[in-house]
Amino acid sequence: MKKVLIVNLEKCVGCRTCELICSLTHERRCNPAEARITVIKFEEKGQNIPMYCQQCETPVCEAVCPAKAIYRDSLTGAMLVDTKRCIGCRMCILACPIGGLSFHPTRKEIIKCDLCKGDPACVKYCPEGAFEVVSLDAIGVKRRRENIRKFSSYLDMMTGGKE
Amino acid sequence: MNGYSGKILFINLSENQISTIETSLYSREYLGGRGIGVKLLYDMVRPKQDPLGPENILVFMTGPLTGTFTPSSGRVDIVTTSPESNLLGGSNAGGFWGPELKWAGYDGVVIKGKAKNPVYIQIYNDEVNIKDAQKLWGKDVFETVKILRQGNEENQVACIGPAGENKSNLSGIAFNFRNYAARAGVGAVMGAKNLKAIAVRGTKGSDIYDTKALQEICLEIQNREKMMPLYKDAPSWHWKLFQSLEKDGKAFFGNYEPFLWEDRIKAVQNVKEFIQQNHLKPESCLTCPLRCWAHFSVRGEEGAPIIACQGTWPSIAYFMKLSDPYYIWRIYTLCQKLGLDVGGTSAVMALAADLYEMGVISFKDTKGVLFELGNGKAFAEAIEKLAKREDFGDILAEGIKKAVQKIGRRAERYAVHSKGGTELWLMEVRPFKGAALACAVTDSGSCNRATYAFPDFYYRSMQKQAKMVAKNIVGKEEAADPTTYDYKPKTVLFYENMHIFADSLGVCAIPFQPVGLELWSRSFSACTGIKLQLNDLMLTVERIRTLERLFNCREGLKREDDTLSERLFKEAIKEGPWKGEVLDREKFEAMKDEYYFLRGWDKDGRPTEKTLEKLGLK
Repeated sequence: MKKVLIVNLEKCVGCRTCELICSLTHERRCNPAEARITVIKFEEKGQNIPMYCQQCETPVCEAVCPAKAIYRDSLTGAMLVDTKRCIGCRMCILACPIGGLSFHPTRKEIIKCDLCKGDPACVKYCPEGAFEVVSLDAIGVKRRRENIRKFSSYLDMMTGGKE
Repeated sequence: MNGYSGKILFINLSENQISTIETSLYSREYLGGRGIGVKLLYDMVRPKQDPLGPENILVFMTGPLTGTFTPSSGRVDIVTTSPESNLLGGSNAGGFWGPELKWAGYDGVVIKGKAKNPVYIQIYNDEVNIKDAQKLWGKDVFETVKILRQGNEENQVACIGPAGENKSNLSGIAFNFRNYAARAGVGAVMGAKNLKAIAVRGTKGSDIYDTKALQEICLEIQNREKMMPLYKDAPSWHWKLFQSLEKDGKAFFGNYEPFLWEDRIKAVQNVKEFIQQNHLKPESCLTCPLRCWAHFSVRGEEGAPIIACQGTWPSIAYFMKLSDPYYIWRIYTLCQKLGLDVGGTSAVMALAADLYEMGVISFKDTKGVLFELGNGKAFAEAIEKLAKREDFGDILAEGIKKAVQKIGRRAERYAVHSKGGTELWLMEVRPFKGAALACAVTDSGSCNRATYAFPDFYYRSMQKQAKMVAKNIVGKEEAADPTTYDYKPKTVLFYENMHIFADSLGVCAIPFQPVGLELWSRSFSACTGIKLQLNDLMLTVERIRTLERLFNCREGLKREDDTLSERLFKEAIKEGPWKGEVLDREKFEAMKDEYYFLRGWDKDGRPTEKTLEKLGLK
């Protein structure tokens, strides 16, 4: 079963550890501009939202690539870029509806989340444990359970039970 | 240059001149951050310059660990000559600005001179531009950050508010919406240079010597930080800090009143309920697991980030005796927007209320502004006037020491401050003899650049741990007792050293000790490739500390200036766990003797020839 990287937005505290570990493991440097993930901050509202490729089921990046350089990794299900084929036209960046891809500032290549061969470093290093790799068939019920927890404690309050 | 960026940006605003300095000229002997900052100040500023004149420099310095993967490495250190004390002034801030500067290719920025008209500096990697800021002048901190992000949303912004523009000695430098280098009047120095802001965007990143080792070490540091009691408590620390102050008997009330404030427990309960009724979302600085600040939104009002770990809310509540949490919140956001040091401003307000009550100042002096403990509405009005230097606010904006000198009459008798005139922070010092010594001998501006995490401070609530820590440092458990004068110079020395390490490496002082020196120095080696022997490290720290001293000696500092205001030696505490405690002049002077000796300074507090030679400072 295909697995996906998901993030629990309520847990994210905006420390950007994920950006740096991503850059460190892929590029052996500390540089958010070379990371495959960016924590988008709305500081006035205290919101932190890590953004990265969602490995779409119908990847627009693959469809628009004139060089046929983007393909799905059969092992992890991640969309990968064949840098030998890539012509650097950046059409994929333009087409992606969520901003999953970016352009390496010095190497001039497309970079994107490759799920670290199925074992993403951000999952291990996030101090809040906000990331998780979840199997596709479990993702829906997982969110349902997480979100209904709040409701469940309301019910507890009303019935006098304990959390 | 691994770990470092290799260059320090030098900007002379009088000449409109931009150049760079090689970091490697200084990094060997002074590490980075606070260490290099002090060295630059010592070398570049001639003795006895006006802190608010063009000759003074303002240094923003990151450390070798800033912006690396190392946990809690979001720091930047600010060094300048303080207009509040006319001595060395330093302050430190977290957040994301320092790392962004590093990623833009600079270990620091040095500002000299004074721009003809208000300007701001925009840094985008190699592009550095001095730009017109007349439209920004007068804007508060939140507005300034927002404006400088229009079209450049990834900008990290350091700026001053109206208080800095008006050169208030209580003004700090804000980093984005929350993080502050609040102390020593660093905002006034920036304002005096007509510099409103420095916006930074960097996409170059930093090189790391051994990434595999760094990853392993960082996971270990992260785990240690998660074992700190603060880690578990941080999301509720915003009100629990009040309780911790109560338990350890650290708080003081009003203008250092001899009695406890009877409403203090009620005030804490109110704050707790206020926080629970509204919305608090924990936040962290770069790569830090501790989440010691949070975004707080009050229904129907603009939200703002608040900090738990440094006790800004307790300062407002306790000094101004405010039990209405709504006004604590209002005054807090007001200070954040105006660019004021919350602790210092609260202390000045409490002093003014005291002077008013004692009849030293009257309605005529204050031009109709009321200074009354517990009256949040009136204090909010007074704080706005302070930031704008209107009426009596013009005098209070000088900070406690200079304000009472200006007021004259008997005002000086009521003032409480540490060396040079810096307001004391949240902690009472009379029972804590070590903290009192640290506040007197500090050469770096604020006393919390040396006293954070003193074992004395948690002696009442965690006696076993305090004794263990004291034993590790000086070899005696009884050294942990706050009220004893014995062994304190050694403890002070140890904590000063730790703070210098943290501030020079570019990591936060809060987790510094719990994580331990060994892991930080291993992280330093992994980032830079430089192997450091403990001996070299100790020598480096001694060198930085002694250079701080040399700077102040050159400014005319004498032994008798290493002191606190007279009141702390004359008025004993009259209620609570420390009833009867007061500072004893003779024993206090003996602590200084021992401290000087341990530092290798003579009886007048001047570094000896032998010490200078040992440290390569001759």
